[in-house]
Amino acid sequence: MERNVQKNGLVNLVAATVIFVAALVVTTYAHTLAGQAGSIFMGLGVLVAFTGWFQMRLEENERLEKLEVEEFARAKGESALFEAKEAEVFPARRSRAQFEKYFVPGFAVLLFLLEAGGAWLLWRWLARTTAGIASDRAMASLSLFAIFALLLFLVGRFSVTIARLEGRRLLRPSASFLLAGAYVCAFTALGIAGAKTELPRADFWVARAGCVLLGLMAAEILVTLLLEIYRPRVRGRVARPLYDSRVVGLLAQPESLFTTAAQTLDYQFGFKVSETWFFQLLKKNLPALLLAQLAVLVLSTCVVFVDAGEQAVLEKFGRPVATLDAGAHFKLPWPVEKIYRYRTEQIQTFVVGYVPDAQSERANTILWSVAHAKEDNFLVANRAPVTVQNDNADTNNTLKAPPVSLISVSIPVQFQITNVTEWAYNNADATNLLQSLATREVVRFLAGVDLNNVMSSNRLAAAETLRDGIQASANGYKLGAKIIFVGLQDIHPPTTVAGDYEKVIGAEQTKLATILAARAYAIGTNAMAGAQAFTTTNLADATRLQLEVSRFAQAALFTNQIPAFEAAPSVYKQRVYFQTFVDATRNARKYVLLVTNTQDVMWFDLEDKIREDLLNLNVPNSQSP
Amino acid sequence: MKRNTLTIVIGAVLVLIFALLLFVFQVRKSETAVVATFGKPTGQHYDQPGAYFKWPWPIQKVYKYDQRVQNFEDKFSQTLTADNNMLLTSVYVGWKISDASQFLQVFPGDSSVSLPNAQSKLEGMLRTAKSAVIGGHPLSDFVNADPQALKFDAIESEIEQSVQNELRTNNYGIELEFLGFKKIGLPESVTQTVFARMTSERQVLISLAENTGKSEAQKIQSAADADAAKTIANAQATATRLRAEGEAEAAKTLPIFEQNPDLAVFLLRIDAIRQSLNQRSTLFFDERIPPFDLFRNMPTNAPGQ
Repeated sequence: MERNVQKNGLVNLVAATVIFVAALVVTTYAHTLAGQAGSIFMGLGVLVAFTGWFQMRLEENERLEKLEVEEFARAKGESALFEAKEAEVFPARRSRAQFEKYFVPGFAVLLFLLEAGGAWLLWRWLARTTAGIASDRAMASLSLFAIFALLLFLVGRFSVTIARLEGRRLLRPSASFLLAGAYVCAFTALGIAGAKTELPRADFWVARAGCVLLGLMAAEILVTLLLEIYRPRVRGRVARPLYDSRVVGLLAQPESLFTTAAQTLDYQFGFKVSETWFFQLLKKNLPALLLAQLAVLVLSTCVVFVDAGEQAVLEKFGRPVATLDAGAHFKLPWPVEKIYRYRTEQIQTFVVGYVPDAQSERANTILWSVAHAKEDNFLVANRAPVTVQNDNADTNNTLKAPPVSLISVSIPVQFQITNVTEWAYNNADATNLLQSLATREVVRFLAGVDLNNVMSSNRLAAAETLRDGIQASANGYKLGAKIIFVGLQDIHPPTTVAGDYEKVIGAEQTKLATILAARAYAIGTNAMAGAQAFTTTNLADATRLQLEVSRFAQAALFTNQIPAFEAAPSVYKQRVYFQTFVDATRNARKYVLLVTNTQDVMWFDLEDKIREDLLNLNVPNSQSP
Repeated sequence: MKRNTLTIVIGAVLVLIFALLLFVFQVRKSETAVVATFGKPTGQHYDQPGAYFKWPWPIQKVYKYDQRVQNFEDKFSQTLTADNNMLLTSVYVGWKISDASQFLQVFPGDSSVSLPNAQSKLEGMLRTAKSAVIGGHPLSDFVNADPQALKFDAIESEIEQSVQNELRTNNYGIELEFLGFKKIGLPESVTQTVFARMTSERQVLISLAENTGKSEAQKIQSAADADAAKTIANAQATATRLRAEGEAEAAKTLPIFEQNPDLAVFLLRIDAIRQSLNQRSTLFFDERIPPFDLFRNMPTNAPGQ
């Protein structure tokens, strides 16, 4: 009988491996999303089945070893054997113990990583992928997954029954995986069928459900690992394998929900929680609770709350019957009546001409020459076409610059939904269309204006023109939107040439500075010339006055001197002479030569003496240290 | 008994929901639907919103399509204009399903498959029409400072008309609602030449500003120098005139000196001596010059005495 259980484990392993490989092939063949989740699940099942089978072999070896030892002990009739170390006597037991102590927790951690990683990666991949099931291969894959489900159900059901009846705890994990795998394959087949019929996203949603299942399994095994640390060890009680998932067991046998819950609680707390009155009451009234929950769920779809700033369109069997404003509203339950919400009052914004960059937008200064977002260059008309020689090209390969210029713009557009019915039902993607219309108006406007004109004086008028143009387009396509604001917050030459535009401003300033310096020079020159002229004139005038006054004074003096002269001509002359001589020669150096002393020779050094201080200069000796 | 009743109620609700899903389908106002019996469209159009009956799959299958205007933007592609300029253009297109049954036959499959297929076909037609139309126009029809010369709208209409004709001729079950340029640009190499030209234009303006400044400054300085010279010359002339006037006025005193010319000349000489000895002077006198003539015949240290 024991050998049969091991064989069951081996059959489970082989079945899981074969179905895993087959599911993988079919998934690749049909590009089914749900099949990917199913394949991951079956791959985990292979690992669990192998581990369970291997542990069964270890326990079987231990059992055989124990029988041999007992047989040997009876034959010897003494217990000398037990004097040796236990590890030497019971190597199989030691192997099993080491396996449970080290390998099983490690394997549980590996399972957790695979389940969590698989769930996370698959979820992310599903969010990005645009792939869908291959339409022409859908029927074949559907049939194959249905066959996998049937095969797994047969093998899994049999193993689960054997495990339950004989209490084989090591057979239960792989059996549960096979039975749960049967349901996973069945749901995969349903997802493919849905995608083939009226629910094109069914395959996707089944794949998402598979991600959730893997996530739950990962969470469960993590909790189990944590609780295992604190679980009370009851002597003689056989521990449940860490890789035996209760979530998988519940999926395989949903009818055993309470049994599983009771076992879990009993196992963790160490006493019979499942025999308490609360647990029994819950078990008896579960159908009524489920029905009540279903009723609450249906009733909850009869009340809707529309948030402030929103409007909702109420559809009855797909036909719009009302527009609901903010507040509470009653409606018929889903799927008879449904609502679709739209942000009508809220002012929505999009930008034309650049893609905002969070890092650049943190800068406090916005310069033309420094890119502050991912900017697009728009063509703008240029009045003066010029041909430019490319430095890298030879003379026969001249690149002709077209008569256009480039410009960068940043234009935020703000709008409100004014007619929610038109917004919702006329265009599949009204927001995207409005962005396209706004961009087209900007392109159209810039293509017909001169670069310098739009950057300077025509800027405000340009914003108005754009707003009117975008509004007219939106009305033309019945978007039901009102353009609130169009701002030319940034309109400048591309970053590459922005520096040259700044240099022009610098050159204008230099020009102004040069002119102002010349004017300052002119003012100075004229002022000094005026001053010099004034001085010259005044000096001349003073000279004139001096001349006049002194001559008249001399004349007056002369008139008065005449009588004195006439009275004593010689004396008067001598007196005037000596008075003048004394005054005039008072500061003069005077030498008187008496010519009678003819024998003496006198030398007069009439040169000016060099100043004494210069002669007394002490010239330093260059050779002195 | 109580449990059985609950089970029956739950089962009935589930069966009812399942039956509704199997036999009834809804069409929204934004949708149009085609029902196919064993794969063949029934020919009945469901383009009005409401709930409709159908036989369950696999007898009948419902294909629902969005009947609103779909819009997409084609690739930013390069085209040669009539005057051999390279232009990159991208257009946005609005289209809708006009005949759902025909659309199902031309683009079989669910909307998740058929709509991208239709868009892909439309994009191919669009690229062909766009290249043909753009190739017939010079660059100045796309970008021009003269609004009268700009043919932006006309070019859009030409492309739209071309694609519309193609769609109607081959009866794809779809029609074009609108088309417009979303983006116009230049290839990278041409963009660099435009940048070079824009830089050259700025250099011209820089040179113009700087040299205009120098020229203006030089004119101002020259004018100032000329004005200063004039002012000084005028002042000097005035000074000369004033000195002349002084001389003329002083000349009126000469007759007074003529009353005694001997004295007048003597006084002038005396005045000349006074003024000439104003500076530091060294004078040599002998005993004949008064008042040193007083030293004449005074004893000296003649040899032999």
